[in-house]
Amino acid sequence: MARESSEPAPVPRLPPLQTTVNYSSDFAAAPSLSASFKLDEGYSDETRSQPEKDLVIPTLDEGMTLEEWILTHSETERAELAYKLLRSLRTSTVATVIERLAPLLHMDPVLKLPPEITFEIFSYLDPQTLLTASLASRAWRNRISDSRLWKDLYINEGWRVDIDAVRRFEQEHSGLSSPQLRKSRSRHTDPDSGEPKQKKRVPPSWLDSRATGSLEQGARQGNGQQHVEKEADKEGDHPMGDVSTERGALFSPEQQISPSRRRESLSGSTHSKSSGQGSSTATRRSNSSLLIRMPNGAAKVNWPHLYRQRRKLEENWAKGRFTNFQLPHPSHMEEAHQECVYAIQFTGKWLVSGSRDRTVRVWDLDTKRLWHPPLQGHSKSVLCLQFDPRPSEDIIISGSSDKSVIIWRFSTGEKLHEISCAHDDSVLNLRFDERYIVTCSKDKLIKVWSRRQLSPADKDYPSMFFGSGVTYPSYIVDTAELPSPVLEAELANGHFQSLAPYSLLMTLDGHTAAVNAIQLNEDEIVSASGDRLIKIWNLRNGACKKTVIGHEKGIACVQFDNRRIISGSNDDTVRIFDHASGAEVACLHGHGNLVRTVQAGFGDPPGAEETLRLEALAVDNAFRDAQRNGAYVDLGPRALRRAGYHQNTTGSRDPRDIKALGASIPPGGGGSRWARIVSGSYDESIIIWKKCKEGRWIVGQRLRQADAAASAAYVASDPAARAAIARSNAFAQQNLQAAVAAAQGQQAPAPVPATPATGGGGPLQSLQALTARLAGQATSQPGTAQPQPQPQPPMNGTGANPALHPHQPPQQQQQQQQQQQQAQPLPPQPHPRHQQRMNRVPGPAPTSRIFKLQFDAQKIICSSQDPRIVGWDFVCDDEDLREACQFFTGL
Amino acid sequence: MSVPTLTFQSNDGVEITVARDVAERSVLIKNMLGDLGDTDEAIPIPNVNEAVLRKVIEWCEHHKGDPPNTGDDDDSRRKTTDIDEWDQKFMQVDQEMLFEIILAANYLDIKGLLDVGCKTVANMIKGKSPEEIRKTFNIQNDFTPEEEDQIRRENEWAEDR
Repeated sequence: MARESSEPAPVPRLPPLQTTVNYSSDFAAAPSLSASFKLDEGYSDETRSQPEKDLVIPTLDEGMTLEEWILTHSETERAELAYKLLRSLRTSTVATVIERLAPLLHMDPVLKLPPEITFEIFSYLDPQTLLTASLASRAWRNRISDSRLWKDLYINEGWRVDIDAVRRFEQEHSGLSSPQLRKSRSRHTDPDSGEPKQKKRVPPSWLDSRATGSLEQGARQGNGQQHVEKEADKEGDHPMGDVSTERGALFSPEQQISPSRRRESLSGSTHSKSSGQGSSTATRRSNSSLLIRMPNGAAKVNWPHLYRQRRKLEENWAKGRFTNFQLPHPSHMEEAHQECVYAIQFTGKWLVSGSRDRTVRVWDLDTKRLWHPPLQGHSKSVLCLQFDPRPSEDIIISGSSDKSVIIWRFSTGEKLHEISCAHDDSVLNLRFDERYIVTCSKDKLIKVWSRRQLSPADKDYPSMFFGSGVTYPSYIVDTAELPSPVLEAELANGHFQSLAPYSLLMTLDGHTAAVNAIQLNEDEIVSASGDRLIKIWNLRNGACKKTVIGHEKGIACVQFDNRRIISGSNDDTVRIFDHASGAEVACLHGHGNLVRTVQAGFGDPPGAEETLRLEALAVDNAFRDAQRNGAYVDLGPRALRRAGYHQNTTGSRDPRDIKALGASIPPGGGGSRWARIVSGSYDESIIIWKKCKEGRWIVGQRLRQADAAASAAYVASDPAARAAIARSNAFAQQNLQAAVAAAQGQQAPAPVPATPATGGGGPLQSLQALTARLAGQATSQPGTAQPQPQPQPPMNGTGANPALHPHQPPQQQQQQQQQQQQAQPLPPQPHPRHQQRMNRVPGPAPTSRIFKLQFDAQKIICSSQDPRIVGWDFVCDDEDLREACQFFTGL
Repeated sequence: MSVPTLTFQSNDGVEITVARDVAERSVLIKNMLGDLGDTDEAIPIPNVNEAVLRKVIEWCEHHKGDPPNTGDDDDSRRKTTDIDEWDQKFMQVDQEMLFEIILAANYLDIKGLLDVGCKTVANMIKGKSPEEIRKTFNIQNDFTPEEEDQIRRENEWAEDR
């Protein structure tokens, strides 16, 4: 390219040297840039002032232009000549020449290099830099809006995506001249088509109840017709047909152009007006940026757009921007559970709940309505459940304080099987995969059951471990002892019977108190108990592989992925342990009472294993260095406390904060900067933990079940107020009240009685009080004398509160729990962080202790003492975001 | 015993002899030799002139002892733009040469060199304003001020939280 300079326009004669200042046109081949151009280092050294020169001017042969003559010389000679020429100039002139030459030395990689190489270059840059660079020129902007680039960026943030949904979406929209037409047509013919918004494809190993289920046709075939009718009814008597138009207008001017009928309602909206439109089929709005149309007509998902929407969503989580909703829909309170709800799980549009009212209920998250009549079969509280709606599974399994486990068909609600005396006491938790059901109980045992018929030759047949802690029923054969020909022969002649489905395979006996929670991941079980211990078991043979210690009181909940174990305890903390070494890598203080439920998403980007290991190693090395240098470091708080240092164990990498060495993950557990833990507590709050810039866990948001319930009910009661509330989370309290008052057409809001502050509760606390009356109205609509949040009757101790006080006899535990239920002052408990317990003072009886929560990419749903199940939807009524959410999965 | 060598011919006709293990940093050459067997003839390298070819060979010489590229973990590794000192010095060339090296590395399939080249360009983009980027690469701004404003506004979402 620089060769352009060697083809200058013809110049007749070598001009006198003094005139070279005007020797201009020859280098004009290069576009001239602004005069403010700065020279690169290395090019500015030769501008020394050399006014008087004795340059030798060669004589030219007759008839030869200067150029011809110059070109007869070699490159080296020409360079020398040029240099000498330049040396003959005044500095300022040299500068001018160099300035004009400079563009030749700077060339546009986007023009010079093919897209696959600029893709490589851009792949080294972060989103911020890329967006800045995209302002350079149109060509740059085009290259940078490469969908692949942003897909990689998305994946590397540690965000997950439902790639199947993306493919389906692309196929569905490909090769059609008018997707709009097709869409509306399909909506009429098949109201359930193209509904890929369920969050599936989450690896089964992924922490708690991210079930892999999708909604499937099979699940609804049975009831589809009935469902449609229900919907129609509801739309008919629902008074607020098209409020979403106003709502959209209020939120974002750009949405005014979006026809309200095209709005879809995924799971976020607090009322179901759109459900009757079959709206959930509209996976793409008319003005959406979700699609890129290729020249060949193929449709591709717009990854830059998805990346941006995901960032917006994460921002909403960080800033606490959400709308609330509840199950049941506030205008159908007759569908609610009669008593508190101990267990929930959701996947896609389905949520299944289990309650103290002995029923299991299946909910449609789109409509917020009950799907089946309540599933009745248990004779006492339903304490735990799991379900998988995929047609291949189509199953709900529930456990109860009646000691039984019931297997239901998800799609019909029919009871398929009952394991009537699964345990000797309440079944506190259960998990299943395609092979096994694992249950745990107040009887301190864990049991593994088969899900299918199992012959000793099957690979899922248990092997035997001859150590303490595990027992097998007498019908289990030790297949390791039999050479396979013998085994086959014995099977052939019928000496070995296949095990029927739901046969007990083994009993794991190792905990010394109630086993409150279990998780199942590939071939491991992780259990958490009132004995303060977490144990890791081999699912295949029942051997206890490891015991993890750390909590100071009984443990109520546990989750794990392949790298970390996260647990919540009666010591009010959430702790993170390294799965490989058992080392405690973080301890989160923030709750003022027992942590009953927890879920974590670390958002490990691809290739995280190595990163985590190296980070952990660096921390270990820093610790050892500090030790060698005589700093006050120790594994544990005691020695440090003596030295006047209080450990910060929320993920700090300060050597003084390290509690254990040899972990395979760094303090805090690692993961992406978007990592999130959500914990629910008997202090009636939910904490969203996030990572601060230094990588420590901090309280991001504190949510209250009662606020959400009030907001959901209130919102459904008045469409305009709903809009106001959605916007108001970030606003000042008085603004909110004004908005609410305006919506109600009142003069001014009544003075709000002070509600007990829990810190960070936000304006909705006052809203709760303000709206209590309205919520009452909403719930006392015709024929629905449904429970308001009210003090629960004392529990009967059959598992409602898992035995978390291992050092007390069960009788005393019950008494204490009853006292707690009745909000008596607690017996004094020695606790290192006593100030954290400030909530445990005499006051109104707790009405919304959190029992179970789950979150996905866009929402948190929790169950509590309150019969209403409530949710926080971080889409926050942003239609672009709602649309993009169909592809997002968690962290 | 002499080291086995190969001869390359640049597109401007210059022949350069290279030790075979050095030449085989290029996957293209390596595969070609695998397919065709040894050759005494000069291997023409179209698209690459002498100066660039010499630079490329210099890089291969220096990196001949590097562990072979696994290639699989490309997408899984976190991309850093760290460049080792020797490579940084090596890449201190004018932009034309830099881009020619990148193109040659791409053509000859020398992953390590391509990576270093791309990182070098990436580092030239990092931390610069759009105007500075334009100057660095002599880019004509073909946006109207209104368009530029509009895009700036659209990009605001990415401001770090």
